Amino acid sequence: MKIARAAMAAGLLAACACQTASAATGNVLFNGTITATCTITINSNGTMTVSSNLQSLSSHNAGGSAGSAQVDTTGGVSLSVDPVTTTTVPASDTTATTWTPTFATSGAQTIAETSTATALTVPGTSTVAVNLAGTKSGTNRFSAGNYQATVTLRCE
Amino acid sequence: MRRIAILTAGLIAALSPVAATGQSMTPMRGEVRSFTDAFAVRVFPGNPYNQRIRVEVHVYDQDFQPVAARITPSAFLLAGQASRPVLVVVPFDGANERKVRICTESIPFPSEQTQIRAQICGKFFGHRRF
Repeated sequence: MKIARAAMAAGLLAACACQTASAATGNVLFNGTITATCTITINSNGTMTVSSNLQSLSSHNAGGSAGSAQVDTTGGVSLSVDPVTTTTVPASDTTATTWTPTFATSGAQTIAETSTATALTVPGTSTVAVNLAGTKSGTNRFSAGNYQATVTLRCE
Repeated sequence: MRRIAILTAGLIAALSPVAATGQSMTPMRGEVRSFTDAFAVRVFPGNPYNQRIRVEVHVYDQDFQPVAARITPSAFLLAGQASRPVLVVVPFDGANERKVRICTESIPFPSEQTQIRAQICGKFFGHRRF
């Protein structure tokens, strides 16, 4: 009886051992597309000071400071500044001023100071320094009072 | 009474829109096919700050001349770290295709000598199908 039981158990084990596991496999694909993105965060505005000959009002002059912004991008965009169109000058200033906005970046991508549109190809965070210079020519001079100008920093 | 006045002043200060400047917008590229005499684009201006800002959306052509597009809404307050959809409907004006820039702009800080206005522009190309 014992021998019969042992033989039956051995037979069952053998039958089980012969069966191979039939697990199915499949691949799950993941796709992702990142389109160009750009975020501008203004850290601070700039300050312009007048030169000793009163013909330059600029953030580059002594005591002046550049505006600062942070640009986060995936790359594939360009950075530019618009010509200055919005200004406030004292009533006593009746002569023409030429305004020149410029920008430079550091961080993920370094761009030397320029006024022309420049491609941002490197993804990451760059710090942008925005400068503005107003100049008068000939005998024209900046006069006492409050000056204000708006520079548009564009990422596109 | 005085406490109520102080509390009210504090609440007004906390709820006042902050004139900060900063901007994001998605998508920044797009190509649309339309069977009508206009094409529509939905963009999502975003506010990277923790406080709300005022946002304006404008549409320009390739030479940065304004385009008479229907923008809904064109100006709004956006909560901190939030974004919202803006629908822009651009007429073809008789052309078979049109390239436009849809720009999200922010209001600069007031009372500063050199203000910086942040502007994020996306380029969109509309094709007309008959």
